[in-house]
Amino acid sequence: MTSTGIFALTATSLVGLGLFSVMTNPQPLRKIIAFNVIGNGVFLLFGVVAHRGAAAGLGADPVPQALVITGIVVAFSATALAVALLLRLAKQTPLPTLGTDDGSDGDLA
Amino acid sequence: MALQTQTTPDGYLLILAIMLPVAGILLSLIFGRWVERIALVLLALSFGAAAAVFAAVWQSGRPVIYVVGGWAPPLGIVLRADGLSAAMMMTAAIIICATGAFAKGEFAEPSRQAEARGPLVFWILLLAIWSALNAIAVGNDLFNLYVALELLTFAAVPLVCLKGSAATVRAALRYLLFALLGSILYLLGAVLIYGAYGTLDITLLSGRVGAEAVAAIAAALMTVGLLAKTALFPLHLWLPPAHAGAPAPGSAVLSALVVKGSFFLIVRLWFDAMPGLLTMAAAQLLATLGAAAILFGSVLALRQQRLKLLIAYSTIAQIGYLFFLFPLGVGLAGSDASGAAWTGGWLQLFSHAFAKAAMFMAAGLIAEALGHDRIAEFSGVGRAVPIPIVTFALAGLSLMGVPPSGGFVAKGLLLIAAVRAEQWWWAATILVGGLLAGGYILLVLGKALGSADRPLVLKGSPSRRRELIALTVALAAVVLGLVPLRSSQLLEIGRLSAVGVALR
Amino acid sequence: MTRPELWLGATLAVPFAMVALCLARGLRDRMPGLLMLAPLPALVASLSVADGAQMVLPAALLGLTFLLDVPGAMLLGSAALLWSVSGAYAHPFLSGAAHRGRFATWWLMTLAGNLGVFMSADLVSFYVLFTLATLAAYGLIVHDGTPASRRAGAVYIALAVLGEALLLMAFVLLAAGSAEGSLAIRDAVAALPTSPWRDSARALLVLGFGLKIGLVPLHVWMPLTYSAAPIPAAAVLSGAAVNAGVIGLIRFLPFDAGLPDWGGALAAAGWISAFAGAGIGITQTNPRTVLAYSSVSQMGLIAAVLGMGLAIGDASAPQAAAFYAVHHALAKGGLFLAVGLAALSNAGRLWPVLLPAAVIALALAGLPLTGGALAKSAIKAPLGEGLAGTLATLSAITSTLLMLHFVHCLARSGHTPSTRAPPELVISWLAIAFASIAVPWALYPAVLGASLRDALALGTLWQALWPLLVGAALAIALGRRAHRLPHVPEGDVLALAERAAPALRKLAAASERIEGWLRQWPVAGVFLLVLTIALAATLLAGR
Repeated sequence: MTSTGIFALTATSLVGLGLFSVMTNPQPLRKIIAFNVIGNGVFLLFGVVAHRGAAAGLGADPVPQALVITGIVVAFSATALAVALLLRLAKQTPLPTLGTDDGSDGDLA
Repeated sequence: MALQTQTTPDGYLLILAIMLPVAGILLSLIFGRWVERIALVLLALSFGAAAAVFAAVWQSGRPVIYVVGGWAPPLGIVLRADGLSAAMMMTAAIIICATGAFAKGEFAEPSRQAEARGPLVFWILLLAIWSALNAIAVGNDLFNLYVALELLTFAAVPLVCLKGSAATVRAALRYLLFALLGSILYLLGAVLIYGAYGTLDITLLSGRVGAEAVAAIAAALMTVGLLAKTALFPLHLWLPPAHAGAPAPGSAVLSALVVKGSFFLIVRLWFDAMPGLLTMAAAQLLATLGAAAILFGSVLALRQQRLKLLIAYSTIAQIGYLFFLFPLGVGLAGSDASGAAWTGGWLQLFSHAFAKAAMFMAAGLIAEALGHDRIAEFSGVGRAVPIPIVTFALAGLSLMGVPPSGGFVAKGLLLIAAVRAEQWWWAATILVGGLLAGGYILLVLGKALGSADRPLVLKGSPSRRRELIALTVALAAVVLGLVPLRSSQLLEIGRLSAVGVALR
Repeated sequence: MTRPELWLGATLAVPFAMVALCLARGLRDRMPGLLMLAPLPALVASLSVADGAQMVLPAALLGLTFLLDVPGAMLLGSAALLWSVSGAYAHPFLSGAAHRGRFATWWLMTLAGNLGVFMSADLVSFYVLFTLATLAAYGLIVHDGTPASRRAGAVYIALAVLGEALLLMAFVLLAAGSAEGSLAIRDAVAALPTSPWRDSARALLVLGFGLKIGLVPLHVWMPLTYSAAPIPAAAVLSGAAVNAGVIGLIRFLPFDAGLPDWGGALAAAGWISAFAGAGIGITQTNPRTVLAYSSVSQMGLIAAVLGMGLAIGDASAPQAAAFYAVHHALAKGGLFLAVGLAALSNAGRLWPVLLPAAVIALALAGLPLTGGALAKSAIKAPLGEGLAGTLATLSAITSTLLMLHFVHCLARSGHTPSTRAPPELVISWLAIAFASIAVPWALYPAVLGASLRDALALGTLWQALWPLLVGAALAIALGRRAHRLPHVPEGDVLALAERAAPALRKLAAASERIEGWLRQWPVAGVFLLVLTIALAATLLAGR
């Protein structure tokens, strides 16, 4: 199996593992980390695509590299926002969950 | 088909439309104390830019294009405003300016010299949402659209928890995580597309995409990701608490515009980027989810005890109508039925935007007057605060599809298209949806117009200015009903698949 | 602007202008005094505008078209007269009442929609005005705010909205099938036979308009509404508003071409309503409910006439049916005003109200020398001599029975002692009573082309009289056994429907449980994956 193939497989498994984690872990922090894992899988996939699309003379296609950098920034800001919200929630409630299990959302007013 | 990749003379307007709100954000960060004034000035300027784009597209009859940096695709990014973009930008402009006028003074904290957190955050988020919406409307590159989509989500999420209570923070976090899931799926699809076709520019893709497996999988991933952000049944779990927990002007913008941004992208994907890919089965699947959303959302809206939650569930239901665009707009390539479906679906989006914004504003005014929004205790509200109730009724006309209103013309066009396409089940669903909408609207109105057993104690009195602004937005939804009952010329300008998308 | 256009325009413009004036609270409270003036342009228009005159609005206002033909003019004139007289009744009726301004606003909106429907010649204006009249009537019905009127309002609005949905679908089908996208009613109806959706369109039209005129079993809103609404509102709703359904049937069904199946179905539904209405009406004790069931019965008769005309392609059936509807509107409105007067009059002084009321009531059954007899003879021609003729005579007998029962209930209805009815109320009552007898006489030769001498011939008089004598005999026989009749609740079929309510509530509760289940992340996540796979599969399947 070529290295590209290994990376592609890794990327797919990262995405799969991340998705599974997001769905099944009830704690928000774990969901955030799982989202980052998915993100890393997608960026790795970008790298695979770059490697496959290499033009003559270049080691890899530069466009996906630019996209990955932007993507990393976006994922970083997303994580920062999510963690900030989580910290705020943790300050207000003793056990921060996303509140879907008991079906009630408390007082939204 | 000649693909224009040259900047048109009025192309700079597109950059203005995106960057003026950003300029407002930057100025507000520097001069935090005057955020409201800065925001209002920039809102007016951006309205001018959006109106200029609209006028340019309408009068010239061809799309406005701007090639960023002069670098043509596939390496560069193109901004392209066709008729649909122009209409979307105009709607967003009107609603956001109305929301700005509505929210003026709402977040002000008395006698504080230093910048206050509430108003600063609100106005910056409002400007950011507008900038993101404009970027989504004119973006022609899939990755650029991803960034715009993320900007929209990041700007919308803090709006949900502006009030700061634990429940709203929880709702915001849930919204953020689900939306992020959606956008990462979208990105995954974009990667696959780039890997297969070597470009992410929509105009170039429309020529290159064929019916391959990788395109199908990528399209499926992207669509489902966008569906999660549009809150289509059954992926709507985040919407009711988020939209109900936000402050009134925030809910107005969230329900009216933010969920429509991702829908706009879905249509761009199917009709412009990958026109040859849609099958009837896939279109029927999307429309079935839409029908389920209509029925489910309406029934749940009937059961709600709080007005804002009722309106949020109504949003879930009305979003379902938009998905009838797929089987009806696609099934009859080249006939005027597809034109009717195209105009009807988009008119539904625009009139729902106005109606829902007006409704949330009215709900906010009522809650301000009463101190709560429990529907069961609404008796006598009609006499206490008549103008918000009239606003609610006018907006409800559009949701029910009662003439004269934009909702009536939209549903009429969709019905005509369904009849011509011989897909009776969608016609029946549209009618049942209208009846159910009538149910929950009349439920609220009936309660409000009834006389109170004991006199109502008003906790506050909303200002006349804000009542009139909400009424004007509702009237806009009614005025849309004066649009003639056939396909619109404006929405056909610059469509890449101008003769209608053919089914495989 | 030519003369006809002026009056047609004023018919709509004046009520709408008055509605606009109602936005100001001071003017709103003074509006009840002006209610009787609002329909006057319509009255002038119906009398003076020549047959076929039309008014086309400019394209900026969507190019709506208004047209006045003979049936439309007759219905417009009678409706305008009824609205005007009832408006005159409403003024003293409402004097000093708390929410008279609100009542006046709903009144004017219903009036505008109702009068406009008779003139409308294109699909859009017809639907808009029809909807306006139907929905604004809700405000009139629930004016009292009592639980009974709220229940009546809820049933009314539920069925009204259903009717609107059916008609909307029918109009969409008509529009979709019409040539060159023309929205004129005439073009759409002419294009219908060649359209692929003609059966559905016709079914929806008959159902939608049938609901409006109260064909069994869609009649359940009538008894509740007419007994709960305030008296002047009940008068106009039962007299003028139901005629919107009649004009709809006249305009949208092809009477020149003829439709045997649909005509037969409409006629059958009409006959069933005619007899069921009378049958259930006899068991009621509230005079208003008896009048409501009488409306069901009379509208059924009109539907039967239209149905028979449609079945054989008789182009004169619409005029005969419209003539009958004119008399019914005036008489029914008058009878409701009489009920209101009786409630206000002293027990001993009931005769001035009771005697004319009895005459008007029997006129509905076809009392000779009244307008009702003319109406009955007018519809004799389309009905023919066979089975339909016999049924018509039978329905005259049952109507007599029902009307005598009504007079009996009216005589026994409660009245407040030692109050005198305001003279204005008496004047308006006498005016409408006179009109209901005189107007058909005036219209008969002009519209139906038959001679008055034939109408006054002894043979015709006896033809009209003997069913009444039979009915009177039955009434006397039944009077002794009145207490043995079964008790049917108001809105008969509705009681059955209301038993279905708990089942619907369980359905809604089940939806909430499903929603709670969908809220959980694992479920939503699974749906995400399932949807992706399903979408990909449907995309790949066509390859």
